[in-house]
Amino acid sequence: MRKLTFWRQAGRQLALFAIGLFVLFPIYGLLRMAFDGSLKGAATEFHWLPKQFSLQPMLAILDRPYQSVQFSTILGNSLAVSFSAAILALVLGVSLAYAFARFRFPGRQTGLFVILLTALLPPIAFTTPLYILLSWLGIRTTLLALVLVYAAFAMPFCIWNLRAAFQAIPRETEEAAYLDGAGDLATFTYISLPLSLPAIAVAVLIAFLTAYSEFTIGWLFVSKPDTVTLAMAIYAIVTTGAAQPWSQLGSLAILMSIPVVVIFLLLQRVLLERMMFGAASD
Amino acid sequence: MKKYLPALRILAILLTALLAWNLRSYALTTLPVDFDEDDYLRAAQEYAAVFRSGDLTGLTQFNYRPEHPPLSKILYGLSILPAPETPLLPDRPTSAGPDQTLPKHQLRNARTAGAVLGTLTALLVALLNPLAGFFLAIHSWTIKYTAQVMLEALPALTSLLAVLTYRKAVPRNSISHPKLPWLALSALFLGLTAASKYIYCLVGIAIFIDWFLANPETAKQGNRTTGQLVNWLTIFSWGIFSIVIFFAANPYLWPDPLTRLADSVFYHARYSTGAAEVASANFPLWQPFNWLGMSVPWNQQAFRILLDPFITLLAAFGLARLWKKERVYVLWLITAIIFLLAWPTKWPQYLLILTVPLSLAAAEGAISLLEAIRFSVSQSVPNIRSSDLPQAIRSPIRSPIRSLPWLLPGLLAFLLLTIFPLLFQFGMSLTTLNAQSLRDGLQGGLLRELWGGVTSHIPAAGQDASPNQVHFIGLHGYGWVFDYVSSIGLPVFTILWTALSVSLQLALGLGAALLLWNQHVAFRKTWQVLFILPWAIPEAIGALMWLNIFAPLSGWLSLAVKDFGAQNVPFSFLVGWERNPNQTLIILLLASLWYGFPFLMLAASAGLKMLPTEVFDAAAIDGANAWQTFRHVTWPLLTPLLVPAVIIRAIFAFNQFYLFQMFVQFFGGQQYIPVTLSTFSYYLLYRGSEFGISAILNIITILMLIGFVILFNRWSKAGEGVTYA
Repeated sequence: MRKLTFWRQAGRQLALFAIGLFVLFPIYGLLRMAFDGSLKGAATEFHWLPKQFSLQPMLAILDRPYQSVQFSTILGNSLAVSFSAAILALVLGVSLAYAFARFRFPGRQTGLFVILLTALLPPIAFTTPLYILLSWLGIRTTLLALVLVYAAFAMPFCIWNLRAAFQAIPRETEEAAYLDGAGDLATFTYISLPLSLPAIAVAVLIAFLTAYSEFTIGWLFVSKPDTVTLAMAIYAIVTTGAAQPWSQLGSLAILMSIPVVVIFLLLQRVLLERMMFGAASD
Repeated sequence: MKKYLPALRILAILLTALLAWNLRSYALTTLPVDFDEDDYLRAAQEYAAVFRSGDLTGLTQFNYRPEHPPLSKILYGLSILPAPETPLLPDRPTSAGPDQTLPKHQLRNARTAGAVLGTLTALLVALLNPLAGFFLAIHSWTIKYTAQVMLEALPALTSLLAVLTYRKAVPRNSISHPKLPWLALSALFLGLTAASKYIYCLVGIAIFIDWFLANPETAKQGNRTTGQLVNWLTIFSWGIFSIVIFFAANPYLWPDPLTRLADSVFYHARYSTGAAEVASANFPLWQPFNWLGMSVPWNQQAFRILLDPFITLLAAFGLARLWKKERVYVLWLITAIIFLLAWPTKWPQYLLILTVPLSLAAAEGAISLLEAIRFSVSQSVPNIRSSDLPQAIRSPIRSPIRSLPWLLPGLLAFLLLTIFPLLFQFGMSLTTLNAQSLRDGLQGGLLRELWGGVTSHIPAAGQDASPNQVHFIGLHGYGWVFDYVSSIGLPVFTILWTALSVSLQLALGLGAALLLWNQHVAFRKTWQVLFILPWAIPEAIGALMWLNIFAPLSGWLSLAVKDFGAQNVPFSFLVGWERNPNQTLIILLLASLWYGFPFLMLAASAGLKMLPTEVFDAAAIDGANAWQTFRHVTWPLLTPLLVPAVIIRAIFAFNQFYLFQMFVQFFGGQQYIPVTLSTFSYYLLYRGSEFGISAILNIITILMLIGFVILFNRWSKAGEGVTYA
């Protein structure tokens, strides 16, 4: 790479600064809103800085974020639902992923196509039938329904990722195990599974994030205040308009997204690769 | 077989013409009177009176609605001569509603004249390509506006004739020796077109561009400058001749040419910006695409076939093929579309300036689609040696028996949690399941109707069906839902949204990646991490951030305008965006650009890293500047690496939900905000409890996504995994 002249460097920095401004402006807007203690509902005056800087909204959120339900309850719902959904998707998907990664059988091509297709469908495509099916079973308004729905959203993508993880294991390692007399199950348990654990963890993490940051569709299934997740609470505050100070809305949004942002920044390379469905591998 | 082909072709042409006449004559008797028909009939009455009196100088004095040149109206005047005479219709403003009491015989005669011209147009197109003629014959907008007393039928025909004769004059695009008589004829028809309705003269621009696209090739031979001069002179005299014809065929201009011409031309600029009916229609910029994406939504019983959206779709596929065969028609189509997008008035009858090239493109599209299907069938078994494949995916174990223990449990779960709901959804989409019939549906009604419907023990439900019960309606719902969503422009908007948002994201993402490519850029890592932020933030939170800026009343922008005054705030013109569909699109695109560009930046950065450095050294040695290097080295090498990422982003944009949901939800659904299909499906479920219709929309979405996935498979390495592994 050639060194940049002063003017070229300056020009680039200017362009990058413009993009940076575009990226930061909305984020700053939300931060400003979150720490403005003067808000009663939505904002009514223009201010560059919080009119009255205060941590009070953040503390209020950490106490009772939504309809006087404890923060711990809602966070607990979020974690329990997302974690269960991710584990369910993993447990149900792992053997199928291994089969597609290691074996050849009739209908394999079609199967792969269907998995890829279902991984790319919008969540609403599963929501409509699941709404009716779960109503039928009489469990539509329970947390279990939420777990099943989020697992259904996440499973195809999870299978696709797990398959990629298993395929990345060198054939020779597994063949060595076969030669030493291990069966398929033993090879899987003692060789393939441990070797692909980091990749499996990423697949589970993505499934977890899918469920954790689902805002709207959950409201079709649960509606009691003490069964909502963090993300659902944010959506509820937006729909109720000015009933709650918007500073609390901002605080909740920031609290909720901090872990997601941290995970994305730490794992950006592998997440990008996964989200390209294997098209970016070099 | 070959021997009969010409005969078959002639038969096809005749049948097409017959079909065109049949559909138009049916429409002209069934369609109620529409806006403007009374105006043009009044103009025709004036001319009929002139012809009856025998004193033809009257032609120079009358031209009711003088903003449009008189030729079509004179023709209508001739056509109503045989009908009984009636008193002159009253002079009414352009915004007045349709007058249903027009004299029946005169209306019928005038409409028939239009239908005859419309049939002739379809016949001419069929002579070029019988399939295209068929598409034009069944195009419902074309039928509607050639079977009513509108000014479209005559110029649609003459503009086609102008192009046809032009192609006769310069066969095989060789303009060095044009056949002058044909060229003169082309100018004649262009002049007649101008004397019928101005906007149809856009074909003149298309011909002009075509002429100059052909120019460089021929000018190389022989004396360059003289050749070019002759070329210029030829096309210039073509233009002059058509202007002469325009004046000759426009008797109203003779007494006072310039004033009357200026009046009539400037009327349109005033009308498009000032008329009340234009303002109250509040059509988005892309409304012409919405018209193209639907069949005529009113009085549908007058049209026996309603397939307009599919003709448009085929035309989009056929453009490239038509360009290779007959460039001028593609130029015609593009010129017309650019004009329609730019022109503030968006009435649906303007579509007729492009339906001829549209149907030609659709015919090519149908052929290339057939070829693509034949190709993919013959290529379905790829011929790849196993040594070409990467180590990791080489030779999976060929043992169906051994795979069973792994396959079965996972397959069971996948079928239960993923496939079964989708199949069940297809079942739902065949019924009328909604909030009212939910109870019956859950208590076995759904299964009863599905079983009955599939085994056809239950006849499809009629109008008298009880609303509290589920009913099997089969695939009827699909036609109805497709008609409805295309009449409110949802499929068109979803496609437009996908194309625009991904192009913007690609432009900024690629730009940012190129800026950061050089390792000597200061703060490189810091910038990169900063730019990734929007990708890391959940989409709904990002939407909330943009809502915080643009929300009406409480957003930063409207508060700033309120506190400081509109002239002191940049972008203050965007306040009130929720009442203007174009500005709504701008706001939503801005938010989606913010959210989506980091992904493409990361993909482009990864791609740029993989490019070999030698080619850039070679380009530098050859003295290429930055733009040349990008255009001829970087971009071609990078494109294949970027395409899969772009398709993935396109799928995400196609499915975009939270962004729209946040913005729509904020308004409580009071304002019209254009949304994607999947957002609308959620809306039907949550607000309307229309389970059956929501299911239909989802199935349509799934079908469209299958197309995307096939595209992705063809382009990506993941696809290799799918196809060869």
